[in-house]
Amino acid sequence: MDILLSPQLLAAALITGVLYALISLGLNLIYGTMRLLNVAHGDLVMIGAYVAFMAFSLFNVGPLISMFAAAIICGGLGWLAYRSVLQNLLANSEILARLEENSLLLFFGISVVVQNLVTLFFTADRQGYEYLSAIVEIADVRLTGARLAVLVVGSVISIVAVLYLRFSLFGLAMNALIQNRDASAVVGINVDRVQMYSLVIGFGITGLAGALISVLEPITPVMGFPYTMSAFVVIILGGLGNLWGGFLAGLLLGFLEIFGVAVTGPEWRSVLVYGIFIGILIFRPQGLLGHGRIAR
Amino acid sequence: MLKRLLTASLALVGMFGLLGPAHAADPVKIGFSIPKTGLFAPAGPSQLNAYLVWQKMVNDKGGLDIGGKGRRKIEFVQYDDKSDPARAVKIYEKLITSDKVDLVMAPWGTPHHFAIAPVVERHKFPLIGNTAASVALRKVKPGYLWFTTPMMPDNLAKEMTAMLKSRSVKSVAIMYNLLPFASENIQFLMPALAKAGIKVLFEAKYPPDIKDMTGMLTKVKAKNPDAVLVYSYPGDSILYMNQAREVGINAKTQYVMVGPAIGFFRGMFKGNLDGIVTMAAWTPGMKNTTGSQEFYNAYKKMFKGHEPDYLDSVEVFVSSQILEQAIAKVGLDREKIRQAVNTMTFDTVYGKIKFDGVQNSITPAGFAQIQKGKIEVVWPKQRATSSVVDKGAWAK
Repeated sequence: MDILLSPQLLAAALITGVLYALISLGLNLIYGTMRLLNVAHGDLVMIGAYVAFMAFSLFNVGPLISMFAAAIICGGLGWLAYRSVLQNLLANSEILARLEENSLLLFFGISVVVQNLVTLFFTADRQGYEYLSAIVEIADVRLTGARLAVLVVGSVISIVAVLYLRFSLFGLAMNALIQNRDASAVVGINVDRVQMYSLVIGFGITGLAGALISVLEPITPVMGFPYTMSAFVVIILGGLGNLWGGFLAGLLLGFLEIFGVAVTGPEWRSVLVYGIFIGILIFRPQGLLGHGRIAR
Repeated sequence: MLKRLLTASLALVGMFGLLGPAHAADPVKIGFSIPKTGLFAPAGPSQLNAYLVWQKMVNDKGGLDIGGKGRRKIEFVQYDDKSDPARAVKIYEKLITSDKVDLVMAPWGTPHHFAIAPVVERHKFPLIGNTAASVALRKVKPGYLWFTTPMMPDNLAKEMTAMLKSRSVKSVAIMYNLLPFASENIQFLMPALAKAGIKVLFEAKYPPDIKDMTGMLTKVKAKNPDAVLVYSYPGDSILYMNQAREVGINAKTQYVMVGPAIGFFRGMFKGNLDGIVTMAAWTPGMKNTTGSQEFYNAYKKMFKGHEPDYLDSVEVFVSSQILEQAIAKVGLDREKIRQAVNTMTFDTVYGKIKFDGVQNSITPAGFAQIQKGKIEVVWPKQRATSSVVDKGAWAK
């Protein structure tokens, strides 16, 4: 059991957890404010990764800079999706009532189209590049520069985002919308604008996460789906629409995956992750930090 | 008058221009399915690209030599099987019955080969397999399907054990992906290691969607084995390459099964790959092979400097060369092609190949090592372009 005290393992758990937290943040925002089940969420990670890859291979620009481009491009896609399709759907109260179910199909379609478009432009071939590959040693922990960068940048961005959305005026408006859509309109919140910004910020953060991930795994048009899955697990663990809960749940999942696997064995990973997931659904369906009732 | 004459002669030239060559160059239609979308899509280009390179190389020579009776260019008919074997079955039915292709070539991966075996058998279409490897393939009824791969798990286990023994390895740590090919390798490796007296100090299997190996590698480091064998695929190979350096795995022999032979992977790790052993049996400069350097050059030219996958693309090209040589010998009669494949010895980028039943009976399973950025075949010794060396310290 000495292994559980290993600082190396702690760092690995933090990296995995922070990535989960960062990726699920956008999904949570969008689900919380609009009740949209964005199953194309992982494809934004993929787009972000391709942006970083292109920036590196064409202009020799690393992901720590191109992640902002990825955020802007994905945020722009969010704006486009909102203006072209979602705004009208959300404004129609009849459609709105069925939007949660229908959005699943809508985004599934979008996911297929996006993956095929990317395949068309880049082929499905795996891509990758070398970036900050030297080992950095801090105390007893040794990490590649890239993984250290993911840890630092990922932590800063997710914490700043969670704090901003908890304490800023815009964040409060967003929280109000998450809690009760109709009531927030009554008290004068510009629902339309908050929805649009949620989508833009949600997509943007996810694209940024994708740029960070591009240094950790092969970049392919189908790389996003596992992230869609884990983001859903995280936001259900943390409580749908609960940003702080989602952040903690992301970390929890990271720790569970690294330490749980170190104790039991890697073949138990899925049993652990989905076991906890099903357990939460049965015993605490509102999520770890969710309130007793989920406002719909 | 002059104008009329000119028009008439132009028309005549036009007619010949259209009719003449169209008749002579009626292309040979060859069909296959390819995973352009779905789970296997990232592996698809390594196969499709090799087919395209072969097509270009052959067409640049004027086309396929049809039994010594002139040349005809190759035209491909290809469909996306969406990584679904059931869809591949329908595609091969369509290719044969509706598209009326002259010949078919292999789909990607072992499950797809199993799925379409009854189709090619029923329609009597010979098919040279590639990118498929499993001892179960030997149970396929000999007839219209052959497998070019030398990488059969039982042979790999034998060669791996022999290589470890030659390096005086006494103990190993083994990690393997739960996907079928890796698991099958382990099934044969364990008894082979036991027989050779090599101790397994650590063994762990992991799911394909693993996100971190730190825990496993920390345990491996504590055991300090002579060799670390990782039966991994590209995604998890990347995890190993990053985290083995972080944890400080310094075994002199480190085997990473799938990844190091693929171009993108070498781009990601460059100098850190030096000394890593991987599954591959080919390198461009290999002696006693046919067309190796030409294939390598043509591939790089066609795909903007990218190298072929030393494992899959090469095997795909081998299967293409076999088909090409069989056609050159007997023409397009499928029954004669079948007999030719069963009896001929072929000259390929792998060297000479002959089939015993469904299996390539000449090329041995083998390993390559990245040495100073180049891929060298290091095992078995009779095929080696260089000897296995100790893996030194990580580059960075």
